[in-house]
Amino acid sequence: MDDLLNEFLTETAESIDVVDVELVKLEQDPNNKEVLDNIFRLVHTIKGTCGFLGLPRLESVAHASENVLGKFRDGELQVSEHSVTVILESLDRIKEILAGLEATEEEPEGDDTDLIARLDAIAEGALAAPAPEPDTVEGEIIDPGLGRPLKAGEVSLAELEAAFAAAPGPEEMAAAPEPAPKKQSAGKKASLFDRVGGEDTIAVAAHLLSQRLESHKELGKFFSGTAADLRKGRFMGMMLALYKDDLDAADNVGRQLVSASGFTEQNFNTLLGLVKDVLVGCQVDGDTADEAVMSFELVREAVLTASKAVAKAETNKAGRAAGGASAAAASSDEHAAAGGEGGKRVSQSIRVSVDLLEDLMNLVSELVLTRNQLLQITRNVENSELGVPLQRLSQCTTELQENVMKTRMQPIGNAWAKLPRIVRDLTVELDKKIELDMRGAETELDRQVLELIKDPLTHMVRNSADHGIEKPAERLALGKPEGGTITLNAFHEGGHIIIEIKDDGRGIPVAKLSKKILEKRLATEAELAEMSDAQIQKFIFHPGFSTAEQVTSVSGRGVGMDVVRSNIEKIGGTIDMQSVEGKGTRFSIKIPLTLAIVAGLIVKAQEERYAIPQISVLELVRASQNSEHKIETIKNTPVLRLRNRLLPLVYLNEILGFMTREEIDARDNKDDFIVVAQVGAFSFGIVVDQVFDTEEIVVKPVAPILKDLEIYSGNTILGDGSVIMILDPNGIAAKANASAGDHEHEEERAKEDAKRRTVRDEKESMLLFRAGGKHPKAVPLGLVARLEEIEIGNIEESDGRLMVQYRGALMPLILADQNMSIRAEGKQPVLVFTDGDYTMGLAVDEILDIVEDKLEIKLASDRKGVVGSAIIAGKASEVIDVAYYLGLAFADWLKSRDMSEDVAPVKGADLLLIDDSDFFRNMLKPVLTVSGYQVRAVSSAKAALKLMEEGYMFDLIISDIEMPDMNGFDFARMVRDGSRWETTPMVALSALATERDVQRGHDAGFDDYVAKFDKETLLRSLSQQLKIKGDAA
Amino acid sequence: MNDLVVRKELNVVATGSQDYVTVRLAGQTLGIPVLAVHDVLNAQKITRIPRAPEWVSGVLNLRGRIVTAIDLRRRLGLPPREAGKTSMSVVVEHNEEPYSLQIDSVGEVLSLDNQLFEKNPVTLDPRWREVSRGIYRLEKELLPILDVDKLLAFESKDKAA
Repeated sequence: MDDLLNEFLTETAESIDVVDVELVKLEQDPNNKEVLDNIFRLVHTIKGTCGFLGLPRLESVAHASENVLGKFRDGELQVSEHSVTVILESLDRIKEILAGLEATEEEPEGDDTDLIARLDAIAEGALAAPAPEPDTVEGEIIDPGLGRPLKAGEVSLAELEAAFAAAPGPEEMAAAPEPAPKKQSAGKKASLFDRVGGEDTIAVAAHLLSQRLESHKELGKFFSGTAADLRKGRFMGMMLALYKDDLDAADNVGRQLVSASGFTEQNFNTLLGLVKDVLVGCQVDGDTADEAVMSFELVREAVLTASKAVAKAETNKAGRAAGGASAAAASSDEHAAAGGEGGKRVSQSIRVSVDLLEDLMNLVSELVLTRNQLLQITRNVENSELGVPLQRLSQCTTELQENVMKTRMQPIGNAWAKLPRIVRDLTVELDKKIELDMRGAETELDRQVLELIKDPLTHMVRNSADHGIEKPAERLALGKPEGGTITLNAFHEGGHIIIEIKDDGRGIPVAKLSKKILEKRLATEAELAEMSDAQIQKFIFHPGFSTAEQVTSVSGRGVGMDVVRSNIEKIGGTIDMQSVEGKGTRFSIKIPLTLAIVAGLIVKAQEERYAIPQISVLELVRASQNSEHKIETIKNTPVLRLRNRLLPLVYLNEILGFMTREEIDARDNKDDFIVVAQVGAFSFGIVVDQVFDTEEIVVKPVAPILKDLEIYSGNTILGDGSVIMILDPNGIAAKANASAGDHEHEEERAKEDAKRRTVRDEKESMLLFRAGGKHPKAVPLGLVARLEEIEIGNIEESDGRLMVQYRGALMPLILADQNMSIRAEGKQPVLVFTDGDYTMGLAVDEILDIVEDKLEIKLASDRKGVVGSAIIAGKASEVIDVAYYLGLAFADWLKSRDMSEDVAPVKGADLLLIDDSDFFRNMLKPVLTVSGYQVRAVSSAKAALKLMEEGYMFDLIISDIEMPDMNGFDFARMVRDGSRWETTPMVALSALATERDVQRGHDAGFDDYVAKFDKETLLRSLSQQLKIKGDAA
Repeated sequence: MNDLVVRKELNVVATGSQDYVTVRLAGQTLGIPVLAVHDVLNAQKITRIPRAPEWVSGVLNLRGRIVTAIDLRRRLGLPPREAGKTSMSVVVEHNEEPYSLQIDSVGEVLSLDNQLFEKNPVTLDPRWREVSRGIYRLEKELLPILDVDKLLAFESKDKAA
């Protein structure tokens, strides 16, 4: 294809895309002058270029829309939905024609009169204004040279020829315009110069101006002294300089313009009027003419001063004038050249074929690998003279790699650019109100991937607008805001890019879907009955499924989500959906970053090395039998305590099928490395044999026959030339979660966790176990120090009691229930409790689970060792009293707390715990609960006061002092100030426990003041205070 | 592009002769069309892939390309190689992906007259029938010809299963 045409097509396509977006913006904000100017400029450029390339059909359409836009700009027309729609339509027409052009290199046949008529009708709707809009209808005069009516901005050939004939020859005038430059300038940029119509128009204008001035009654005397040709040359040079923004040149010419003294401001104004008339006469459209005339203001001063000085310089004016003009022309020529370069400098870009980039990328990948190999070799050679150059090579390679990677990355916003227009069209067509909220548009991803997700994304947004968002009336009836919102959100997560498409529409109707599924015989009624709503909703991914009752022009054409899904899967991505009927739907697309060079952590399992993408690795923990970190198991599930959280673990050896769990457990020297990985909101530990260093790896996709192995995301070649597999933490998580429920739940739980933490803390982790009988027993997990399985052989009996040697000391073993007995053989599960120096083991039959639930003792118990019964995980469970067992294990345990009686809890007392620290509430609540108190924990004094208003009564209030909003002192004062809780004992808890603070506390109304973290004193204080209250009552 | 055209022609058994690389596998000689063979390698370091299908013995590095190694013995239901014996690789391509067929040893290149070619006997083990294009009657022995594409068309087979 012709280079010029090619360039034109790409440029125009880009411009049209921009116009699309800008128009939608304009519609929302009709008074935004900037946007309007931008649109106008782009459309004008398109029109101008079409004219230049001889594309009449394109040109006429562009011209008609430009007309309308011009009216908008002049304020003669209000921006309306209808007019924007028609303009958008004309853009679509232009696109169509462009597509035809691209295919055949010729304008496709077609009739645009209808569209043009409509555009003209809009434009004429406000033709009252004086701006002379040349209408195509008016162009009945067929130009003999062209054989078609003249278009705006065009000058008849005859007129042009006249202008040229009148123009000075090159020998007389260096400034004489060459028609040739038109080629390089036209259509490049819509500078004023181009809009005016290029050098041709300027030549004509200068010619006309020169002629009119000669005979002008007011101005004639100033100009008549100069030869017509020279005069014309000067105007031409001036306009060229002005319209190309070359002010120096303009200034120069300006000084030469008037060859007589006495030129006044008034005269200059008249001149401007004349210029305008001439320009309009040259079919320059009104605005451009105005702008062109305005630019003359820049030389006003130069012209006026020149006129004043002219008398003195009268003698050599001719020479200077000629010199000046030619200098101006020369400099304007130079400027044109510089302007061309300048344009390039602004964008600083060239077009490079994607294949070339692809090749480059591959080469760089190979280079990186070779570099790594070289580094590996020299690492083993000491004092090699290769060291320094190699380091340099290494550095360059890294930089090269980074830059090549960058060339491929594009912000995802590029793929979204069309969406505002699409949504806008839909709102009109479907009569809905939809707002499109796009976030993370700057998220970059590989351009290849970008191209591939463009269409699926568009399709999904369409779907959301069409099927998802309800009509305004419907929404109002449902109590939703009238306008729906579609949110697009893109972000990086764990080596993937996640794109979410969310709407707040009606969700996916399960009932309707079920009907359809039955109709299409995709499942039987019985099968459907067994499916969850989510499963049924996922049927939308089934081939040939569309739920819209009516097939609109927008969506519902049979190709639907199945195509979207297969497209996404083609690039190795996944798509997931959550939909709540009446609330909305959320799709999330996860696209892996293949083709990329990533940092990988090299780990070892069974003498084989594997890479884990560094991006999903949070930290490394070393766990061994004797260190602080130790792998513990709950019913065969390995976990690790990590900063007060239990981290689920998976053994890489087991995942890869090297070892069974039994083999792993049976190893002698347990010394494991745990790679803490994060997938979404779910973090877990991967237990590996060894961890090496990190290495830059080039992710190569696995062979198609291995695609089904979800534990790998690719493979790579290491520096030493060996191939290793790259583990996919997502796949491993999925595998690890297969039994424990899926990943989503985990995420939801994590979210719930977060929510709970921020709102209030009522649930806590309880360890469920079974001992003597079927019914589960429970103990707050926070009290359990460790979970052990003790070999029966190691259990000894001494002094009539069971003992076990544990960590170099004797640990008494207590049976959790009289009805149970130690196992005959194998291992005995034991809960280890520690309190100060005292460590005891509680032998149980079986450890069941850890659940998070609200600890609410429903029935207090008189039985020793039982706090009461609570419903935990839907089952009645006995909550055991650890203090009782500690007493059993150590006769002196209770004595150790010198005031044992005081510690003995007053059963069933209701406590209110106010503390803003999550950690502290979490720590204290189980302690208090187990001590037999019913605890209500709130996170602020305000929340506590709210409870008071709601009529809650407590036996005692424990309050923190340092709290946001309202501190403990103020709170106490309020409570004591005649409130409902006036007589309730109050204990202050604070890290600030100086005498002064204590005094302040007492003054504020606290009955006691206890330092934080002093559990004993607190418990003592509690029972004392409650006793006092009891005695008083 | 050229490659594709050649490959297509291979499927047409016309008069004349065809060239084959012979390989030894568990005492059996097999023929592979010479134009399908990209490379013949000596024993290579192969990285195992846990959890992969059993007939995938791993991946190896062929001049910077990662090649999937196929254990031909397992693929053809032959007994596993005796311990300590090394294997050789014949690198072929399927759907533009390189695969290495692990064999015991490579023999010679034979140019065989098409008249010696015969269809698979119907009684042939189905597993062999599936991947054998036909059999050449050589003087001393019979030479089944491996159809590389069918040999490596796991994807479709797996899906059907």
